[in-house]
Amino acid sequence: MLDTIGTLARLGLAAVWLISGAIKLAAPGQTFIAVQAYDVLPSALVRPVATALPLVELVLGLLLLFGLATRWVATAALVMLAVLVAGIAQSWARGLSIDCGCFGGGGHVAAGQTEYPQEILRDTGFAVLAVWLMVRPRSLFSVDGWLGWGRRRAAVEDSAETGSSAALANNAGIAEGK
Amino acid sequence: MGEAARKRQRQAQAAKSVAQARGASSDRNKIIAVVVAVVVVAAVVIGGVLWINSSKNSTEGTAIAPTTSTTLGPGVVEKLDGVVVSVGKPGAPKTIDLYADFLCPYCKQLQDTYGPQMEQAINSGQLTVRYHMVTLLNDRSDPPGYSLDSANAALAAVASQKFTAFHDALFKSQPEEGGRGYDKAQLIKLGHDLGITDPKFDQTVNAGTYDQQIQTAFQQIENDKNLAQDFGGGNVGFGTPTVAVNGKAISTQGDWLTGVLNGTGS
Repeated sequence: MLDTIGTLARLGLAAVWLISGAIKLAAPGQTFIAVQAYDVLPSALVRPVATALPLVELVLGLLLLFGLATRWVATAALVMLAVLVAGIAQSWARGLSIDCGCFGGGGHVAAGQTEYPQEILRDTGFAVLAVWLMVRPRSLFSVDGWLGWGRRRAAVEDSAETGSSAALANNAGIAEGK
Repeated sequence: MGEAARKRQRQAQAAKSVAQARGASSDRNKIIAVVVAVVVVAAVVIGGVLWINSSKNSTEGTAIAPTTSTTLGPGVVEKLDGVVVSVGKPGAPKTIDLYADFLCPYCKQLQDTYGPQMEQAINSGQLTVRYHMVTLLNDRSDPPGYSLDSANAALAAVASQKFTAFHDALFKSQPEEGGRGYDKAQLIKLGHDLGITDPKFDQTVNAGTYDQQIQTAFQQIENDKNLAQDFGGGNVGFGTPTVAVNGKAISTQGDWLTGVLNGTGS
């Protein structure tokens, strides 16, 4: 059950990054405008950040999709979300009128058309998924699982959760004892 | 060694070799997974950077097509008034002021939709258009400065009576916001392709002769309350494009141009 939730969180977060990264990558000019509109970076850094942002998002999305190093990737995703939320929050606090450009678009908008609370709330929702995967990275159909990474930890968690490892131990004892 | 002890030893050895075998295959899997992941990530990053750079620099090494929608009729004069270009036949009864930035997509839309109609009205002696080149989006190109360079170059084309052609060609081949615009060499090449032979044109483009005046004029335009538009949500200010009649901004919705020409525009 918890593995299923973990799997949904992993794939959901993967979809978020893959979609947002792909849309940004498809429109480099728009991404540049969106990054510039936050009015945080010196102009020399706008292009490097606008280039790196979609690529980092895509890499996070791919690693989550395959479930490789899930705990670390989830941590990186959380850091990334924190940075993005900080960017949105500073625009809000300074009274800028911009669209976050989270899923494409971005740049200046009319004063009445900002959606800062919704944008932050949405990113917070994504952050919940990331936190779940940091705390409990185990999920179905993952490379981590195939490699056996985190297996011992998972066994400990299982025994704590369901007591099933006690049953397993009994079986093992019977097999060995005969 | 007793029977029981030997059995324990055999079991221990078996367990050990199983663990080794499992460890070896797991190590190999880990290496494969890490190698595949590194290759995929490197491919995404390298491919992504190449794609973004080529997209951003898509105007590099291209020539701006010297295409124009309408040729100016006989008797139409392009006249420089400060950094405003007035285009029309002497004595044309109606005048509009058009404020636009060569990088602004909505300005291109206005030009695409109403440009031919305006130029017809100019040719038929009904209308004078006063073109104001503004640099609202000067930092929206990468590298910045396309708005200013193109405005200066368009002004330089007036002396050869090629302003309208130059202006129309730049809008037709408008570069994307957030990308590379056209550099001075490309702007000069466009002038040559449109038939400008005066060497002063090249000098003016390269020197940015009008840059200072354009920027000063833009500051005045931005602060002119009569040119402010209401964008809704309490957002009132100057934006591009703006069309003004008698110094006051008018709506460019619907058939505004016919309204202006019939004297009913406001």
